Amino acid sequence: MSAVWPVSRAAVRRRRVQTVVIGVVVLLSTTMIVVALGLLAASSGPFDQAYARQSGAHLVASYDPSKVSDSQLTKSASAAKAYSGPFAMATLGQGLNGNFGAPESLVTVGRADPGGPVDRLNVWKGRWAAKAGEIVLNRNPTASEGFGAPTLGSTMRLAGQTLTIVGFAYSVSQSADAWVAPAQMTSLKPTATQMLYRFAQAATNEQVSAGQTAVTSGLPSGALVGTQSYLGLRALATGEPNTFVPFLMVFGWLGLAVAVLIVANVVSGAVVSGFKHIGVLKSLGFTPTQVMAVYLTMISIPAIVGCAGGTVLGNVLAESLLTRAFENYGAEGVTVPIWVDVVVVLGVPVLVALSALLPSLRARSLSAAEAISAGSAPRAGRGLRVQRWLSGTRLPRSVSLGLGLPFARPARTALTLAAVVLGVTSVTLAVGLGKSLTTYQTAASRVDAVDVSLFAPPDNGGPAPNDPQAPPAPKLSDAADEALIRSTPGAVSVTASTDLPMRLAGTSTDLRVSFYRGDFEQLGYRILDGRWFDGPGQVVVSERFLRQRGLAVGDTITLQSEGKTVRAQIVGKAMYNSGDEVLSNWQTLALVAPSLRASLYEINVKPGTDLDAFVQAVQKGDSGLMRTDGQDAGTFVAIVLATVVLLTLMLGTVAALGVFNTVILNTRERRRDLGMLKSIGMTPAQVTVMVVTSMAALGALGGVLGIPLGIIAHRLVVPAMANGAQVAIPAFMLDVYPWSLLTLLILAGILIAAAGAYFPARSAAHTTIAKVLHNE
Amino acid sequence: MTEDLGNEQAVVRLTAVRKEYGESVALDGVSLEIHAGEAVAVMGPSGSGKSTLLSMVAGLDRPTSGAVVVHGDDLGSLNEKGLALFRRRRIGMIFQFFNLLDDLSALDNVALAAQLTGTSAAHARKRALELFEELGIGDRRNTYPAQLSGGERQRVAVARALMNRPAILLADEPTGALDTRAGEQVMDLLLDLNQIGQTLLLVTHDQQLATRCASRVIDFVDGQIAGERSLERTS
Ligand SMILES: Nc1ncnc2c1ncn2[C@@H]1O[C@H](COP(=O)(O)OP(=O)(O)OP(=O)(O)O)[C@@H](O)[C@H]1O
Ligand SMILES: [Mg+2]
Repeated sequence: MSAVWPVSRAAVRRRRVQTVVIGVVVLLSTTMIVVALGLLAASSGPFDQAYARQSGAHLVASYDPSKVSDSQLTKSASAAKAYSGPFAMATLGQGLNGNFGAPESLVTVGRADPGGPVDRLNVWKGRWAAKAGEIVLNRNPTASEGFGAPTLGSTMRLAGQTLTIVGFAYSVSQSADAWVAPAQMTSLKPTATQMLYRFAQAATNEQVSAGQTAVTSGLPSGALVGTQSYLGLRALATGEPNTFVPFLMVFGWLGLAVAVLIVANVVSGAVVSGFKHIGVLKSLGFTPTQVMAVYLTMISIPAIVGCAGGTVLGNVLAESLLTRAFENYGAEGVTVPIWVDVVVVLGVPVLVALSALLPSLRARSLSAAEAISAGSAPRAGRGLRVQRWLSGTRLPRSVSLGLGLPFARPARTALTLAAVVLGVTSVTLAVGLGKSLTTYQTAASRVDAVDVSLFAPPDNGGPAPNDPQAPPAPKLSDAADEALIRSTPGAVSVTASTDLPMRLAGTSTDLRVSFYRGDFEQLGYRILDGRWFDGPGQVVVSERFLRQRGLAVGDTITLQSEGKTVRAQIVGKAMYNSGDEVLSNWQTLALVAPSLRASLYEINVKPGTDLDAFVQAVQKGDSGLMRTDGQDAGTFVAIVLATVVLLTLMLGTVAALGVFNTVILNTRERRRDLGMLKSIGMTPAQVTVMVVTSMAALGALGGVLGIPLGIIAHRLVVPAMANGAQVAIPAFMLDVYPWSLLTLLILAGILIAAAGAYFPARSAAHTTIAKVLHNE
Repeated sequence: MTEDLGNEQAVVRLTAVRKEYGESVALDGVSLEIHAGEAVAVMGPSGSGKSTLLSMVAGLDRPTSGAVVVHGDDLGSLNEKGLALFRRRRIGMIFQFFNLLDDLSALDNVALAAQLTGTSAAHARKRALELFEELGIGDRRNTYPAQLSGGERQRVAVARALMNRPAILLADEPTGALDTRAGEQVMDLLLDLNQIGQTLLLVTHDQQLATRCASRVIDFVDGQIAGERSLERTS
């Protein structure tokens, strides 16, 4: 092997374009993979770990104690892998003097022991409730304690009784808001019985449903009141990041696939253009295996350097990305898990080596005698016929010769064309993915949909989000405020709204329901299915809301708040990300909280209206209205968009470099032809034009073939990604390729190919004929 | 210079060697012997099979039938790896178009041959440098092939071929790409080598090269030996 190293090292040093291209391609792909894998791992990691530690419930079920007895429940629960319960349960109102920041109603469960086979609670502060008069509240230890949140030792009134808070516990299963001793529970008049189950398999909705069927099959009908699946919680906990991780993953995989193809292409190019090199090595006495080793080493050195650099870069990028993306969700200093680095550092070089293996094997098996005579006698054939036909056309001679050049060496040309098609396809796909995702995100988060928003701070004691010290209150009534805004010059549409935390019956997760009045069609929401609400008891929800709860447009849900219950029909599906936000109208609010006033006015104005002047004009009428920031892209979204743009650029660069390398190799190989053409009287300029023409034509052809492939790939990939991300992508978001963009892409293909050809062609054209011919 | 196998023993022995490339027959029943210390020139029209003959002797390709024995090794019994090992120890080759490795400096091109046989890089460079001085190209050692003149390149190629003290030096049109003066320098070099005992097998179109360097000329026509003459060297 001692002779392999000097040859490989020399090739790495002297074939600079090849080395740099491989290094950069691998570096960028590795970066993409680390970012994508890092996001994927981090988005579900904390939740899954906590769930495993607590042996969290895969299914939380509540039963009607009047229909099913505890012993029946215990008996049927043996179908599960493990269970806890039955526990008595009650949903208790706190009264409206309530503590700000605490839920309006408390799902309270009587439990003697925080441990047990399922849902082992983490009592992180204080102790467990041992006797009557004590209560333990459910709270995430990392959650920030809101203003006025209950503290240890303080008391609270529940169902007419005063209870002392003796501890805080955390249930990842979200099985209850509070726990009391069983003795205490009896006096709180339980209305339901809770069972907590773990199943052998609970990775999919089907598996959880199957488990649910198994544990409820023998029970009287109507006994089961409500359930909550672990998968829904998981989706909620991992939240918004999960929408985008699948998208980012696609970029990562795409980057990897493109890197593999391009490395294979670069190595093939090196082998094809290195026939003579291989022949010489063999004639010197390199064994076939040594020849293969030379080619593998030549590729591996820049690949390993690129991989190491990419891993570092990817970690830096992913870490700042993750820390910012997950800060709302209580995670601090999120880093890329070590397994990602290990997988990448080991996996990427192996992949690169594998992609280099096929062409290297070819180098290995090439017959020495053939290899060494390769290139000394170009074969005549079809190529010449094409060239003869081209010379008969009216094109300038250098152009027609240039167009004929690719046909002289069909194998080499096919390789170049493959590189161009690959490059154009991946750039097309990347640009399309980036555009679809940005379009989706802009629409879903309603960026810039509303010109100005005015906030009417609630007067019921709660501090305004912007100024907790001195909350100004609106001076006019709700209706008068709306009339005031509508009559202010410039106003085009006004939507009034307010929010209410509500609960979907049978679950213990809070929904945020927004009730709208006025021109809600102008808010920027896009209805994907069904229609807007037009009467009481109607809601519009997101795709994710439907998916997580197994519902469809047309179904009816039960919403609860402050002891009031309202049944509402899902009349439409709108485009937004959140799975726990529900849109409704003022008529529906009237069924729940008729006295509530609007807290937000979203206004669109005539184009050209001065927004500051408009706001001042309104505030002259009611100084209690405050301007707030409208919907803007949140930090996570901004980060995702930046990442997508970055990844698209990276992928584009990678593809372009691959093309560039192949074209350079190809043109270099032709130096001999160029010398020959000059020897028959072509000027250097003509030679350059000729070579650039031939490669530009290849670029154009590659564009014509690659763009449709990219568009097809985009049409296949985007819906699949959307499905994985539990979002609905309307058809218009697939139409991201206007003619201007397609033209731009083709031009880019031609430009990259022409640039790759220009430099070597120019240098070949300007070296003296003798030298060129001599050098071969 | 070479290991002495006795004057009587042939360094190269071909027995009824036939080589076909698909339909065409490049070598058609060639039998010949080359003895240690001989300088043999092969002449003949283009396409008559001269280069093919060299490929057979160098173990770069295998005959369709017949046997090739070089320095006691029956090439037919060697696998690809065995052939590579055979080449690096026993064969030195010179080509019309030099076939140097463009990525390596002149000196490293030559040292590489020794490194292949397990010599350390430092030792290989030292021996290469000695050869460079002997061949009068010592000052060009750190130059890359692209910057060398044709004659200089061919001398580097000769140095590389001699590096492992081959049993036989094979040269395929070694002056074919050189002008008269550079060609003569290479001819002198080959002659000198033969005079200190290097066995030589030379393919050429050049009558002058043949008569100057070779003691025996084999004429090839259509893949067959058409005749053989012994020569009085002119120099
Ligand atoms: N790799 C090959 N594949 C097919 N045919 C080949 C191959 N190598 C040689 N030939 C054929 O074998 C015959 C002999 O070729 P060879 O190269 O030995 O001739 P040559 O005597 O060296 O000619 P020249 O003086 O032109 O170099 C020719 O007809 C040639 O076309
Ligand atoms: Mg020949």
